[in-house]
This record gives sequence, structure tokens and C-alpha cells, in this order.
Amino acid sequence: MTAGAVGESVRRVDIEAKVQGRRRYPQDFSLPGMLHAVVVWAGYPHARIRRIDPSEALAVPGVLAVLTHEDVPVNEYGINIYDQPVLASDKVRWLGDRVAVVVAETLRAAERARDLVRVDYEELPIVDDPLEAMRPEATLVHEDRRSNLLKHIYVRRGNVEEGFAAADVIVEGTYHTPFVEHAYLQPEAGLAYIDDEGRVTVICAAQWPHDDLRQIAHALALPLEQVREVVPAVGGAFGGREDISVQILVALAAWRLRRPVKMVWSREESIRGHGKRHPFHMRHRWGATKEGRLTAVEIEAVLDAGAYASTSVPVLENAVSFLAGPYAVPHARIDGYAVYTNNAVTMAMRGFGATQPPVGYELQMDRLAEALGMDPVEIRMRNLLEPGSIAVTGNRMPAVTSARETLRAAALAAGWREEPQGWRRPGASILRASHLRRGIGVACAYKNVGYSFGFDDRSTAIVELALASDGSIQSALVRCAAVEVGQGVTTVLAQLAAQTLGLEVSRVRVALTDTAATPSAGSSSASRHVFMSGNAVVKACRQALEKRDAALREESGATRIVAEATFRGHDVRRTTAYDIVDGHCEPHISYSFGTQIAIVEVDIETGAVQVDRLIAATNAGTPVNPRLCLGQVAGGVHMGVGYALMEEFIQQKGQVRTARLSEYHIPTVADMPRELESIFTEVPDPDGPYGATGLGETPTLPTAPAILNAIHDATGAWITELPATPERVWRALRGVPAQPAAPARRPCP
Amino acid sequence: MTVNGRPVSIEVEPDEFLADVLRDRLGLIGTKIGCREGECGACTVLVDGDAILSCIYPALKAEGRSIVTIEGLTREGELDVVQQAFVDAAAAQCGYCTPGFVMVVRALLDRNPHPTEAEIEEALAGNLCRCTGYYQIKEAVQLAVERLGAGGGAP
Repeated sequence: MTAGAVGESVRRVDIEAKVQGRRRYPQDFSLPGMLHAVVVWAGYPHARIRRIDPSEALAVPGVLAVLTHEDVPVNEYGINIYDQPVLASDKVRWLGDRVAVVVAETLRAAERARDLVRVDYEELPIVDDPLEAMRPEATLVHEDRRSNLLKHIYVRRGNVEEGFAAADVIVEGTYHTPFVEHAYLQPEAGLAYIDDEGRVTVICAAQWPHDDLRQIAHALALPLEQVREVVPAVGGAFGGREDISVQILVALAAWRLRRPVKMVWSREESIRGHGKRHPFHMRHRWGATKEGRLTAVEIEAVLDAGAYASTSVPVLENAVSFLAGPYAVPHARIDGYAVYTNNAVTMAMRGFGATQPPVGYELQMDRLAEALGMDPVEIRMRNLLEPGSIAVTGNRMPAVTSARETLRAAALAAGWREEPQGWRRPGASILRASHLRRGIGVACAYKNVGYSFGFDDRSTAIVELALASDGSIQSALVRCAAVEVGQGVTTVLAQLAAQTLGLEVSRVRVALTDTAATPSAGSSSASRHVFMSGNAVVKACRQALEKRDAALREESGATRIVAEATFRGHDVRRTTAYDIVDGHCEPHISYSFGTQIAIVEVDIETGAVQVDRLIAATNAGTPVNPRLCLGQVAGGVHMGVGYALMEEFIQQKGQVRTARLSEYHIPTVADMPRELESIFTEVPDPDGPYGATGLGETPTLPTAPAILNAIHDATGAWITELPATPERVWRALRGVPAQPAAPARRPCP
Repeated sequence: MTVNGRPVSIEVEPDEFLADVLRDRLGLIGTKIGCREGECGACTVLVDGDAILSCIYPALKAEGRSIVTIEGLTREGELDVVQQAFVDAAAAQCGYCTPGFVMVVRALLDRNPHPTEAEIEEALAGNLCRCTGYYQIKEAVQLAVERLGAGGGAP
């Protein structure tokens, strides 16, 4: 029996240090002779830069440099395409553009000088609405492009006219989701220095350090071997650290000035300077037979891509594959557009294009159920993707899926009964007061695990075994750059190694991520590390065991065994890009499913919504560490509740209106469901390590639509624009439209 | 002032905040800064036993007072009962908010060793966590309360 193996809730490897405040985050590092750097941010969301005059700033005692675009060897970066300037030269396109970096002996001097960098701007008209931005006469965000349309992706399956003709009922809806801020507690920070081997080294928080490296090296025109990134403790990520923040700026300053340089963003700079979750404008038209079977869907979604591409194209690709939900539908016409604006850059955030679609498809499902007088669980059961079902993208679903298991588990826990005529909801419960209405809402969702659409997803791990003279394993060191962002991946990889090596987990150490010592594992995103890096670690451990056995046979007396293995997602399922004609493809390597049921109380006098109970059924395959899995579900639900009820990053005319945590509200303990019941359906993933798969994102997806469906159940009102703030609910209950000041929501083009 | 039981004498500027003095001058990096407006609670320390937000607490006000930071809870390598409860309940993920939560709970239990669920929620409501959804933090508090009730680990 291996202590701490798969299935045991072993203690996180980092938790004792964390509860003592001993784990160091990027802002906790200092070096002798260190300089301080601050950013001069764009003065306008859209303007031409006529002149930058640093002379007054340079005159401040202690200021060593004001770096501008002229100091950047190759002035471009970007996670997918190099379309962002490191330091803006001709134009600023959003408030998060960086114009200059002031470097000084003290932070005080740097901050004082920042206000003295004179930038002469010519303001340009801004485009802040993606639907406006799609018009031919719209102002161009990127003048070298003929239009603001970044990408259009579509799926054509069957014949939707035929499908609608066969429908007994057709329901339509428009839905709008807002910009969402990651709001990790640790603001961006970095310390760069030249290490003893002459490498520009950056200590910072990151999700994919090796990809940062590529972008740093590109901007500094250095070979990859001459840059290095070290990732200490990371104070949350959620997709928001997938793009570059401070990395190139501190690396540039350290490289130019040959001294250590530190930069720490304030909360306001963090909210201003990193991207957000994409807002979606969605329009749905769905048809079904009177038996509740889907006949056709027609869906359009417009995504605000903000000022630069970031990962908007892969987010759009993901979204289009998920817009029809985890349902089998014979006829589909789906169109998605990502559009440049002068709003905040939009990027990865927990769900990566799978978070917004359920707000549309799960409300559509309940509208169909209502129109047909059918139970909401029953109608979903009749349409769910099954193992081997054909998805809208024309691909066959894997032989094992778990949509049905999660729906069944959640429904039973919430009091549904499976009767010969079908599933039947529980009766109404007693109200606590006359101004309260109680409702129950169901939502299913699914998400890819690993990178999709032809991307060659891979993770590499190196395992080093220390052997006793009899060949027994004393300890193991795992080198894998799967970044610990709080999710617990380090602990889980140690458990997978312990299980494979037959070793106690306390004898396995997972090295800190340092690009100089750990091979690339890909990003801490797409719920992928348990699946991808877990498989890589298991593979490397098995190879190490084989090498050890060979060494024993040969009586070589080896005391150290090293094995390196790469796991490729395409060995499980070779994904493909969208076909240019009909959009058919093999979209994803693997999938994760979840269902949630929310029981809410709506105060009809104030519009306030309290989630009384939330049941979350999630399939993580075989949970490697149930306690950590529960943490992922609870944290996912936290973001889902915020998404549903309170979170909205607001810009007006490109200006940020929610620049602080006192203005951008995330749920406190008092805002959470009074009771959270988490169920793991434990359908093993045959392709995952020991049957495990990822679950970092799926628990966020069903929360908001489950709450919206529960609000409808309680009050009869459809809230179709997130978040369902007390004001929005109050207005919906009274049929009072939003204030004229708020921009009107128009249907999609 | 005293910091974690040791007398400390330093000169501070009128616009310096306690969090910066603790972190930058005394090297006590366990106190975290998340917002600089007293909104997130990551910077919570004890001043004469009260949980205060050190990012908006003028350092000058600390003169003559007793400050306890997260580093001051661990005694001779032994975790405080609250820290141990956070470990056992897996109440930390990224861990950036954790020192602030631990200090808030320590202050609560010093004042009120048998808090009700509502009192626990009220004490925690000023601190933000983006990872845990708070459930495992609440479990940690309950665990600490039970252990204190059983007579274990009271400082």
C-alpha cells in the first residue's frame, strides 16, 4: 500500500508554508542594487502619439531611465500573434497600452517621475461596441487591417430550414454576458536580473513560462538560451496570467541597465493592465418536437475581442463548438465573430469560451421545457450527447462521456424522481416570508480538456530516482513546468508519481518551475495538467522503473536513474481545425462534464437573490485528491456565483469604471450559497492517468445558468443579461426597462 | 512598538503605512498587499490584539503598540491552532489571502472562543478569497474552535 497514492486526500505540499506566510510570491523578492520600475499607461483608449518627452522625468533625482518604444529591439509581443507593442509607438488602442517605463533607484522617485513623462496625444474616435465595430464605416482599431473583424467561425450541419419545419415549437432568445475580471488576489509583479550565466532572468507569476520565454526573447532579440523565467508561488491565475504582463518590461529594463529591476502593479494597474473574459452577445433560435427532441438550432455570437488579439481566436473557436450545449442536434447553423474594439483586451478566463455559451443554451433549454410543459431534467435527458453521439461539429463523441451521470446525480440529490413517464421535479418548499420567492434551476455544461483544433498539445516531465544499493527507490524528483497557481497540481503530480513508483508521496518532490531546469509542460489552463502533465509524469515514471530494472539486471550499481517522457494529446485524439466549408472538425482531445442545480430565494421587493443551496455534480474521472477536487468545485462555484449575480467590469467610452476591488465586487463569504453539495460522479476517463481528468473549469460553467433558471422558476422573469443584480431583477419583475444611460443591447447582426 | 514580541525602533515617514514598514523594512513578507484600500484583507495583522488592515494603517499610529504578524503565530516551529486547522481543512489554494484570513480568525477566537456560524461569517466577510469559495476556510475555523474547546493549542 502506497501512502498518499491516487484517491487519497493528502495534504497539499505547499500548505504548511502558506499558512505561515513563508511562501514567496513575485512581490516578495528583492536583490541588492535593485531598481524600481513603473509603467506610464496610455492616457486615452484611442489616440495617436505625437511625441514623448521624458526630459522632466529624467531630471528627477534617482531616475536612471525612461524607456520608450525606441529602446525595445523588436517592439511586439502577443500570445497568438505579435500584434501588441511592448511600448506604444504610434498609437494607443486601449487604456492598458504601456507607453513608457520609468526606472529609478527608489519607488518614490519612479512614481514621481511617472507623472512628469510628457506624452503629446491626438485623440481619435473610439469604437467601444463590437456590433458598431463590425459596420463598414467604423473607426479601425488596427489601421493595417481592412476591418475590425478579427475572425468569423461557423458551423453548418444538416439543413436548419428542414429542422425548423419539423419543429413543433420554436423558442428564441438574446443573451448578453459582461466583461469579467480575474481578480486574483496577487497583483502582477516581477523581478528581473542577469543571472550568473548571463541570462536575463525574470521571477514572476505565469501560467506558461516557456511561452513567456518565447515572447521575451523575441522582443529583446535574444536567443531563447539567453532568457530564463522562474515561477515562485503564484497568487491565483484563472487565465489572467496566460498573457504577458510585466515580464518583457522588467526584462528590458534589466537588460538595458544591467541591474536587477522590480515592478509591482497596484490593484488599479492590475485591473487596467490585464485582459478580461470576453463579453458575448448571443442570439439563439431553437426548434424541438413535442417530445422535446431538438430539431434545429440557429445561433449567432459576437465577442468583444478588445484592442488586441490575445487568445480571442481560440476562445471563439472553443465557443462555437460549445454554443449548442452538450446536446445532439441534427441541424445547426452557428456563427461566431470576434471583433476588435478599444475596450479592454479579452483573453483566457476559467472556461476559455465555454463559460458564456451555457448562459444562452441552458436558458434556451428551459424555455423549450416551459413551452412544451416538460420537466427541465427530462428534456435535457432526451437530448444529451451520449458516448458516440455526433456533435454539431460532425465529430463522434468519445466512447466514455459523463453528461448523463452528472445530470442524474444532481437531479436525485435535489429531490427529482425518475418515474415511468420521465423525470419529475420536487414539490415547492415553504417560503420564509411573503416577499420571498423560491425557485429551482438546472444547468448542464461541458468543456474541453487540453488544447484543441489541431494544436499539438504536449507536456514533458523528467523523473529522477535516487536508488539504494539494493536498487530500491529512496526518493524521486519530478521536473515538470506545470505551474502551481493554487489549483494543487504539484500535489497531484506527486501523488501520480508516488502511485506509479510505489513510493510514499512524502518521498516525491516536484521541482519549482524554472525554465532553465524544467521542460515545458504547456500552460496551466484548459483544465489540462492532470490529464496532460499527469500522463507525462506517469509515462516518465514507468520509463524510469524500466531503466531501474535494467540497471538491476545488469548489476550496474547505478544510484541515480533519469527518465524523460513527453505526452502528446494527439496520441489520444488527433484534433483538427474547422473545415472551411462546413466547419466540421474533431475539436477536442477530451471532455469534462458537469451539472448544477441551484435553489434560490428572490426578494421581490428589492430584487436581491440569495442562493440557498447549490448542488454541483462534476465528473473529474477518478479524483486523484478528493479534497483538492472539492476546492476546485467550490472555487468554480464562487466564480459562477459572481458571474451570475454581481461581477461586471464596466467601461464607458473606453474608461474603466470598476478600477478597484471596492468597485468591482467579487463574492464574499456572505454572498456564497448557504449550502454547497459537491458530488463526483467518478466515471473514469480511459485516457487519463489512473482514470483521472481535469476539472479546473467545468464547475464554473453551470452555476450562472442554474441560478438564472432558478430565478425564472421563482418569479417567471427571464434575466438574459448578466449579472442578475438586484436592479436588473427588480426591473425585470416590473417590466421596467434599464436606464437610458446604459447602452441599449441590440440583437446580433 | 513591538513586532511579534520583539521591540522595534525605526523612524517612519508620515505617509508610510504599516504594511510597507513590515514588508520592506522588517522583511516580514508574510503580510500581503492585495488592494491598498482596505478592501481585500490580505494585509491583516493584529495591533494590540485587534485585527487591522495594515495597508491603510499609518505606520506612525503603531508607535508604542504591540504588532503581531503571521510570522508571529508560529512558536518554535509549532503551528498555531488556527494555522494547523487551515492545513487540516485544506483551506488554502493559491495562499495569497491566507495570512490575512488566519489573522482575522486568530483575532476572532481570542475575543470569542465559541463563535456561532453567523459570527464566523461576519468575521470572514471582510476578507476576499478568489480560489476556495470560503467553504474550506469556514471548516478550518470550526476545526480550530473545536480544538480550542478541547483545550488544545491555546496560546
